[in-house]
Amino acid sequence: MSYDFNIESPQTADELLAVIAANQDKNFRFGAGGTDLLLELKRAPQENLTVVNLAQLKDPIFKSITKVAGGYRIGALVTAGEVLDHEEVKSEFYTLWEAAHNLASMQIRQVATVGGNLCTASPSGDIACALVALHARCEIINTKGELRSVSVADFSTGVRKTVIQKNEVLRSVVVPINSNPNLHSGFIKVGTRLSMECSVVSLAYHIQMDDNRTIRHAGIAIGAVAPTIKFTDSACAFLIGKSKLIDTEREEFAGLISDYASPISDVRASAWYREEVLFNISKGLME
Amino acid sequence: MKINFTINGKGRAKEIKASTLLIDLIRDGLKLKGTKPGCFEGECGACTVLVDGHAINSCLYLAVNVAGKSITTIEGLGGEDQFLDIVQEKLIEHGGVQCGFCTSGMAMSIKSYSDKCKEEGKVPNRNEVAKSLEGNLCRCTGYVKIVDAAISVCGN
Repeated sequence: MSYDFNIESPQTADELLAVIAANQDKNFRFGAGGTDLLLELKRAPQENLTVVNLAQLKDPIFKSITKVAGGYRIGALVTAGEVLDHEEVKSEFYTLWEAAHNLASMQIRQVATVGGNLCTASPSGDIACALVALHARCEIINTKGELRSVSVADFSTGVRKTVIQKNEVLRSVVVPINSNPNLHSGFIKVGTRLSMECSVVSLAYHIQMDDNRTIRHAGIAIGAVAPTIKFTDSACAFLIGKSKLIDTEREEFAGLISDYASPISDVRASAWYREEVLFNISKGLME
Repeated sequence: MKINFTINGKGRAKEIKASTLLIDLIRDGLKLKGTKPGCFEGECGACTVLVDGHAINSCLYLAVNVAGKSITTIEGLGGEDQFLDIVQEKLIEHGGVQCGFCTSGMAMSIKSYSDKCKEEGKVPNRNEVAKSLEGNLCRCTGYVKIVDAAISVCGN
């Protein structure tokens, strides 16, 4: 079998839903930036495949970042490059900005989308990891036009698996606005080289403090150390009400984060190395 | 299917397959061999071209998505019957070319990034310039002269 497929290029949201409805009994895949999909199809071609090409869709909800009640809505087709050019994303959600900044290369950031990073459901997805830390929610639309909302943390159910049904498509994500004035937010990515790297361990953190620098809200997610990206509930709860951690607390905190990890050994790193790195970057997080 | 697009300033119409990659349209369909096939995985950047002014990997881009858009390849930057672009001038001046395989991709990435910086009125520092080239591999040089060339294009 050689690399080949049919293509549908809907221009509007209505056309997209109609294309999905018309292909319910056929083998189809969504393609947006195409940087993951085309690689996969070149390596493992599929028979009678239709690619639903989202790159020509002009729908503003799919394609833009807008302020909505209680948060920011980021369309599934917003590219990593567009995330980087958005001043409010940078100031409000630095973890997301830094994740996009660390993603692949300039050429790939130009086309790779937020929705693609989520739907490819890699445990080392950078943008996905930041969105989990930010308590973001996915807005999924079906062929009848009905919307449902799923937290990004629950969106992926395993490696390359998501909650998306065959009659659905990811439309957007909503990131809740910050409820406190002071932020400690960022994205730590450890790989075997600095550029173009798939994470060996990643950690997204978004910690909100009140005027007295007391932690009121915390979101910490870890990637590449379990089959899905993990939100570290108990480590986040540990921080609430504190402002600084003393040495022994930092160890305890790092232990709480590490409890969520169940890494494997692969070509990029051993399980032991991943555990050590995760513990050490966690310990350094609140210094 | 038939698509219309602009390549290096000239309007063209071309019959393609749904799955045709942009690099194949450029090299085989349009016979423009300056765009280099390297890894075909988006790692090396040798196939970098501009779509509406932005650098992309043509090996991971569907040709169907250039419909109505403007493509610039190294042949459109300068050379033959036109003056060299400042990017090419600076690569020569700084000795940023050895075997040349990565050069057309490097030049297109530098073009894209330096244009963006000019548009924003920004003069990037060395780290920022180096980061903009992280998607382009060179196995001859140590990158120093290429980054030097890029920095001078960006106005330093």
